[in-house]
Amino acid sequence: MTRTIAAKEIISNLLSYKFFIVLLLIVVLVTTSFFIMHRDFRNRLSDYQVVRPKPGEPIALVAPNPLSILAKGLDEAMTRSFEIGVTGITVRAGQKTGNVIFSFFPAPDFLYVVRVVLSLVALLFGFDQVSQEKETGTLRLMLANNVSRATILLGKWLGNFLSLAVPFGLVTLLGIVLLTLDPGTRFSAEQIGRLGLILVLTFVYVAFFLSLGIFISTVTRRAASSLIILLFIWALIVFVIPNLGTLLARQVVDVPSVRALSEKRQQVWTREVLLSLEEGRQAGVRGGWAGHIATINEEIDRLQEDYRWRFDRLVRLSKNINRLSPAASYVYAVTDIAGTGISEEMNLKGEIVRYKDLIIRQMISAIASDSPAKEYPAFGYRPRSLGSIFAEGGLFDAAWLVFFNILFFALSYVSFVRYDVR
Amino acid sequence: MASQVPLLKAEDLSKRYEDGLLALDHLNLEVRGGEVYCLLGANGAGKTTTINLFLNFIPPSTGTCFINGIDVTRDPLQAKKHVAFVSENVMLYGNFTARQNLDFFAKLGGKSGLTKNDYYQVMRRVSLQEKAFEQRVKTFSKGMRQKLGISIAIIKDAPAILLDEPTSGLDPKAAEEFLEILAELRKEGKAILMSTHDIFRAKEIGDRVGIMKEGRLVMERTREELQYEDLVKIYIDYMKSEPLAM
Repeated sequence: MTRTIAAKEIISNLLSYKFFIVLLLIVVLVTTSFFIMHRDFRNRLSDYQVVRPKPGEPIALVAPNPLSILAKGLDEAMTRSFEIGVTGITVRAGQKTGNVIFSFFPAPDFLYVVRVVLSLVALLFGFDQVSQEKETGTLRLMLANNVSRATILLGKWLGNFLSLAVPFGLVTLLGIVLLTLDPGTRFSAEQIGRLGLILVLTFVYVAFFLSLGIFISTVTRRAASSLIILLFIWALIVFVIPNLGTLLARQVVDVPSVRALSEKRQQVWTREVLLSLEEGRQAGVRGGWAGHIATINEEIDRLQEDYRWRFDRLVRLSKNINRLSPAASYVYAVTDIAGTGISEEMNLKGEIVRYKDLIIRQMISAIASDSPAKEYPAFGYRPRSLGSIFAEGGLFDAAWLVFFNILFFALSYVSFVRYDVR
Repeated sequence: MASQVPLLKAEDLSKRYEDGLLALDHLNLEVRGGEVYCLLGANGAGKTTTINLFLNFIPPSTGTCFINGIDVTRDPLQAKKHVAFVSENVMLYGNFTARQNLDFFAKLGGKSGLTKNDYYQVMRRVSLQEKAFEQRVKTFSKGMRQKLGISIAIIKDAPAILLDEPTSGLDPKAAEEFLEILAELRKEGKAILMSTHDIFRAKEIGDRVGIMKEGRLVMERTREELQYEDLVKIYIDYMKSEPLAM
C-alpha cells in the first residue's frame, strides 16, 4: 500500500507544473553553479602554479582542493601563501584569488544551492501534503479504506522524496561527470568516495525539509497557512540562526581582532629590534640578534596561542549554537567531508605553525653561526583522511541531521494520527 | 429485499465534542443488506457526525459502530474493508484522469490486477461519458465527479456504502441518474446509508427514512408507512418544533 501511495505521489508530481519548474530550476542552478565554481577553481589553480614556492623557499602553500567546486568553504583562505620569516608567518600581500563578485554574494557553490534553494524546494513539495488533501476531501476518501495513517504518511514522504531526490541526484551526477572531463579537475578515488558521502548528506538534508513541510501541513488546516509558517521557519533555519549563533558567541567569548593581534606582534618586534640596537650600540657588536629572534618568536607564539585558544572557543560555541539549525549542521558536515571546513583549516594552521617553528629554529641557528641558511625544507601537507575526520567528530553533524529527520518524521506521524480529517 | 443481518449498526452512539457540543445523542440504527436508509435533517443535526463515526474519523464518546459485525473503534482497518464512502463534494485528484483516480482508489480498496477495461466498465455503468475516461478530473463538472465517486465505491465492491449528501448541488438529471445507480446497488444487496437534505429523493429511494434533530433520531418511517404520510409535512413539523431538552 505504501508503494501505491508513493507511486501516486510521484505521478501526481510528474503531472504538475510545480515539478516542471523545479526540474528546470535544479538543472539551471546546479549546472550554473558547477560552471562558475569550476572556473573559480581553475583560476585559483593557475594562481597556485604562479605563486608555487621554489625549492628551498620557506613558504607554506597548499593546492586548491577540487572538492571546493562543490563546497568552497574555507578553501580560498587555506590556499593562501604563508611566508615564514624572522617575524613569524605572513600572508603574501595582495594575494587575492577567485571571483570578486563573491565578496558581495556568497559563492554560488553546490553547497549554497542545496542549503538555500533545494531546502525551499523540498518545503514546496511537503507543505500541502496533508492540508491540501484535507481541503479537497481526498484525505477522507483515502482514510475510508483499509489503510493506516502511518502508511499514508510514509507513502507520501517516500513519493515526494523520490520525486525530488532522483532528478536532483541525476543532474548532480551528470555535472560531476562533466567536471571529470577536465584534466585539471580529476578527482581521486578517495575524493569520489567523499563526493558520494556529500550526496548522501544532501539527501538527508533535503529529507529533513520534506519531513518538516509534512509536519507543518499536519498541524494546519489550510495549505496557505502551512506555506506561510514554513517560509518563516525556513528563513530562521537557513539565514537567521546560523548568523545569530556567531553573533551570540561573540558576546560570550572575547576574541581580539586580527588587527589588534597584528599591532601586538608589531610592538614585540619593534621592542626587540630597539633592544638589539641598544645592546649593539653599548657593546659595539651585534651578537645578540639570534636571542632576540628567539624572544620574538616565543612571545608571538604565546600571543598566537592565546588568540587561537580564544578563537577555538568562539568557533566551538558558535558551532554549537548554530547546530540548532540543520542548515548549519549540513554546512559543517559537508565542508568537513570535502576538506574545506573549519577543522581542516585549523589542522592546516597547526601544521603551518609547526613548519614555522622548524624554519625559525634553522634561521636562529644560521644567524647564531653567522652563516645564513640558503635552503629550507619544503612544506608538505596531507589533508586529513575520512577516517580521521570521522574520528575527530566529523560524523556528529551527519548524525545530528539524521536525528532532525527522525524527530520531524515522528512528529509528523504523531500529529497526523491526531489530525482531524473532517 | 433486505437481508436480516445488519451490515451497518450504531448502538447507543453518542458524540460530544471537546467544546461541549453534543453532536450525536444515543443513536440506535441498523441498515441491512439490500436496504437504503436515508438520514434527513438540518445542518448540524448529526448526519455527517454519524458517517464520520462509522468511518472512525472521530472516536465516539459512548456507544459502538459496527460494519459487517466488526467494531469500528476496536478494529477500524478491518471494518473499513467492508465499507465504501462517497462524500458530498468529491474533488479527487485534478491532475489525474478519471481512470487514474479509479485505479488509485481501487488499489487502496484492496483491488489489484484490474485492467483498463474493468475500469471502463464501471465508469460506463455510472453513465460517465466515454470521452471523459481519459480526461483530467479537473475539467469535470460536479455531476461527473460524483459519478466517478460512486464508481470508486462500486469498484471496491464493499457490502456497505456510506454517502454523505451525495446529490447536493447536482442538477435534477444528474441526481436522478445517481439514484438509479443506488437502486441498482440495492438490488445487489448493498447496505446503503445516505445522509441528505433532499426530502423528495429520500422518499423516492429510501427503504427507511430517519429524521435527525439536534443529534437525535426523532423519527423513523419505512417506505410502506410513507405511502400514507406526507414526509415533507412531517419533516417541517419536526424542524419547527421546540428544541429538544438535553
